[in-house]
Amino acid sequence: MKTMKTTTKMTTIKTTNKMKTMKKSIQALSLVAVLFMTSCTDDDAVTIINEEELITTVELELTNTADATNVVLFKSVDIDGEGPDDPIITVTGTVNASSTYLGEVRFLNESIAPSEDITEEVIEESNDHEVFYTTSITGLTITKTDVDANGNPLGVLSSFQTGAIGTGILTVVLRHEPIKPNDNTLIGAGGETDAEVSFTFEVE
Amino acid sequence: MFTKQLVVIAVFLSFCFSNAQECNLVLKGKILDFHDSKALEFAQIYVAQLQKTYISKADGSYEISGLCPGTYEISVSHYDCETKKTKLEIAQNRTLHIFLEHHISELETVKVLADVHDNHASTQSSTRIKAEKIQQYSGASLGDALATVPGVTSLKTGNSVVKPIVHGLYGSRVAIVNDGLRQQDQEWGIEHAPNIDINTASNIQIIKGASALRYGGDAIGGTILIEPARVISKDTLRGHAIIQGQTNGRGGSATTTINNYRASGWYQQATLTYKKLGDFEAPDYVLSNTGSETTAVNLGVGFKTFEYGASAKYSFYNSEIGILRASHIGNASDLVRSINSGQPLIINDFTYDIDAPKQQVAHHGLQFNAFKRFAGLGKLSMDYSFQFNNRKEFDIRRGANAGLASLDIDLQTQNISIYGMADAFENTTYEAGIDFMNQVNRPNAATGVRRLIPDYDAYKVGAFASVTHEPSEKWVLDAGLRYDRYAINATKFYLQSRWEDLGYDEQFAAFEIGREGNQIKTQPDFQYDLFAFTAGAKYLFDTHYDLAINLSSANRAPNPSELFSDGLHHALATIELGRLDLKKEQSYKVNATFHGNEGDLDFEINPYINFVNDFIQLVPTGLETTIRGAFPVFQYEQINARLYGIDLHATYDFYTKKPAEEINTRLDESLYKTVKLLSLETNLSYIHGTSTTADEPLIDMPPAQFQTQLTWYNALVDRLDFKLANQAVFQQNRFPDNNYDVSIPDDQGQLITSTVDISSTPAAYSLWNVGLSYAFAKANTKINLSSNNLFHTQYRNYLNRQRFYADEVGRDIQLQIIYNF
Repeated sequence: MKTMKTTTKMTTIKTTNKMKTMKKSIQALSLVAVLFMTSCTDDDAVTIINEEELITTVELELTNTADATNVVLFKSVDIDGEGPDDPIITVTGTVNASSTYLGEVRFLNESIAPSEDITEEVIEESNDHEVFYTTSITGLTITKTDVDANGNPLGVLSSFQTGAIGTGILTVVLRHEPIKPNDNTLIGAGGETDAEVSFTFEVE
Repeated sequence: MFTKQLVVIAVFLSFCFSNAQECNLVLKGKILDFHDSKALEFAQIYVAQLQKTYISKADGSYEISGLCPGTYEISVSHYDCETKKTKLEIAQNRTLHIFLEHHISELETVKVLADVHDNHASTQSSTRIKAEKIQQYSGASLGDALATVPGVTSLKTGNSVVKPIVHGLYGSRVAIVNDGLRQQDQEWGIEHAPNIDINTASNIQIIKGASALRYGGDAIGGTILIEPARVISKDTLRGHAIIQGQTNGRGGSATTTINNYRASGWYQQATLTYKKLGDFEAPDYVLSNTGSETTAVNLGVGFKTFEYGASAKYSFYNSEIGILRASHIGNASDLVRSINSGQPLIINDFTYDIDAPKQQVAHHGLQFNAFKRFAGLGKLSMDYSFQFNNRKEFDIRRGANAGLASLDIDLQTQNISIYGMADAFENTTYEAGIDFMNQVNRPNAATGVRRLIPDYDAYKVGAFASVTHEPSEKWVLDAGLRYDRYAINATKFYLQSRWEDLGYDEQFAAFEIGREGNQIKTQPDFQYDLFAFTAGAKYLFDTHYDLAINLSSANRAPNPSELFSDGLHHALATIELGRLDLKKEQSYKVNATFHGNEGDLDFEINPYINFVNDFIQLVPTGLETTIRGAFPVFQYEQINARLYGIDLHATYDFYTKKPAEEINTRLDESLYKTVKLLSLETNLSYIHGTSTTADEPLIDMPPAQFQTQLTWYNALVDRLDFKLANQAVFQQNRFPDNNYDVSIPDDQGQLITSTVDISSTPAAYSLWNVGLSYAFAKANTKINLSSNNLFHTQYRNYLNRQRFYADEVGRDIQLQIIYNF
């Protein structure tokens, strides 16, 4: 009688080859590890951003129509923009009583060199901007002399008519996308304030 | 051993029977439970070729003798198990153990007790939102659906940006896990809604505490688990299509989900959603520039059997959201004008156009998952995911920059996690896992606006272990532990004046790496060790009552906004400053849940208390003046907070008797069946938050609110349901005084000192909603006609950041057609 070699096999229903699974797992893991380490980023150095639209300076220059040498400059400079330092306000020149001045306001960004004249953009987008002047001084009349593309007042150029001697406040406000036409009040005009500066105004 | 003899006998016998083949082979073995290798008695082994059935004995053993060599198809089945079919090659005697998946009924989501009170095997306080309710919100946002759960409210920025608040906490304190993937979509921002398409969810679970340790130990508010449709292993096509339209916003959405399942285990899932809305309308005016457009695509393919599986998923979410035009202001004077005016300062005609200010987000997610179950042990699964989130915010800009984004941030996150669960033991389940996260944040410098959040790289390595033990049928005990190491390295430019003003030139001089112009380049680098643990006990009195208490403790590291924030926020005209020396938050929360089911009444009471030490929040610290005007400065600070509250939920069902279709033929009388006639559901949540450091209330605490709904089933007509709901929100009388005074120029040229009242809270309000829904008998179709804010109530919501500018939306009428297949 031939002896037959038989072996009892113990198997489970899933005949998984453990080695095969292990190898596959290692392959998968290493692929994943590679993906993990290499993220799709550029390793360029982080560059500084100097904001171009930032208004650091508001200058209001008044020139006496009767005397071109009588120039008054109201200036507010906040060179650190949103930073904690307060704006520095300077007034040079003397405002005379009972006189007419031509006013020109300038909005500048002096945090970058060379400085940027934002007033140009205000004039280019005249329909979206308006400058407002309010004053507590009685007898001082301020009229906006320029207009936007639709014929509504703009306010970059103005005319100041002074009355009696006195002291008070002059506030210059630049509004972005105000309601136009409007009643020339801060409340009625709406829009967003891009600049709001108050100066002590002395009429001598 | 004795097979040799058997073979000898077989050979000998074969001579006797002059048989060419040896048909005395034996197949034997044991039928065992897959999970714990326990013997399965009375399992039936059916051999097709023999057309005979064999039964396993008490020890699970079976024996089939008299087999001829050949191929046999056997089918093994057992009560409460999935039948296993296999083909065997029998050439010699064979011992074969067969493992059956036993507890199949326990794996189903169908439970005897109400689904809403979930997790009878867990002690944490959690609530589930079912598919039917999710479908009702197919055209709304995820936050809107979550707000229906007691204890959850919404923090809104307008009607389209909705973030969930869980027990008073939101933002980075609430983790959103979408299909096992922790969402990384710049959730540190208050105006950043979760970038998730609600239509991919088949089931949402809200865990109100830090107990979901698997997904992170820093979710001290809670975790929201969004689960897609379960994979079924049979040949079937399932899904739904929903079209929804609404009058407020004059738009709607369309979504479709198709799930193709195969018995072999292969499946494909796809969900597509598109939503378009124009401006919303308040009762008295149009909310200009509040339109939105959203597109979402979710694709998944995978292979799943009980024992192993793998899947690959891709998700894409793109949304453009208009921000109320009137809410974009220049300075504190503008804010005062807005608050005093009582209505938006800019109101235009209705339009579908979305202009600046607006948000644009694109979120991509790629996920690979594989799992394997090990007989007698448990399950092991591995996940790899990649998320890419780009967020752009557009402000009103001037000149050449008009139309250019002011904020453009790319956030990339990769995550690998390994999770193991051992459930082979009698009454105990162990879970453990490790995960790695790598995150890269790159703001685009081309915006020309100083970065609100800087470039940073962060990584997190964590591990957790937890155990659930049921010593008897009446008790459930669980506990878990987690450790994470989180490191963040950023490169940030500070204005020199700000750096010095904050004292960082002394405190963090080591971070300085250079100077350029009036800015200083720094490289802050921080590491945090975060620990979390949870422990709880639940006692089941009988099938009707249970009481659970859960203690969870968690650490949360400060998020990038809290550390590095540095700039002007146009939404509220505030300068927000981060703090580099923030420490991690430490929270201790105790949640108690008492649930009862007494006949027609089902209720749950969930009181809780949460102590958060070093709680990070924004507090006003002063006023600053720039060329633009005056601004309050808010800085992140750490205080100790105590929050406590209670959520109540109750449902009372009224039943009626209706004649059944069958007639008892023996007694020749009609049979009756009880059907639900009316259902009254009510939720109450109350929360009390205090800063114990400052001895004043916490800001942004949701006011107490009641939500009640009456449902009338089969109202007048079969399958027509009528719903009437009310939401009553009280005024929040506990709030900190963050008002400040500012000099504002008036039209008389004076500078008037005005108090900017940003603290006072809106009045209480009550909203009524109604709905009709009709389910067609044959077509698997349902129509929902509903109206929110039926009475066009004018109101403002304390938790809507736009409450300073405009009222909430007015009446909305929605029509929704749902087709399920």
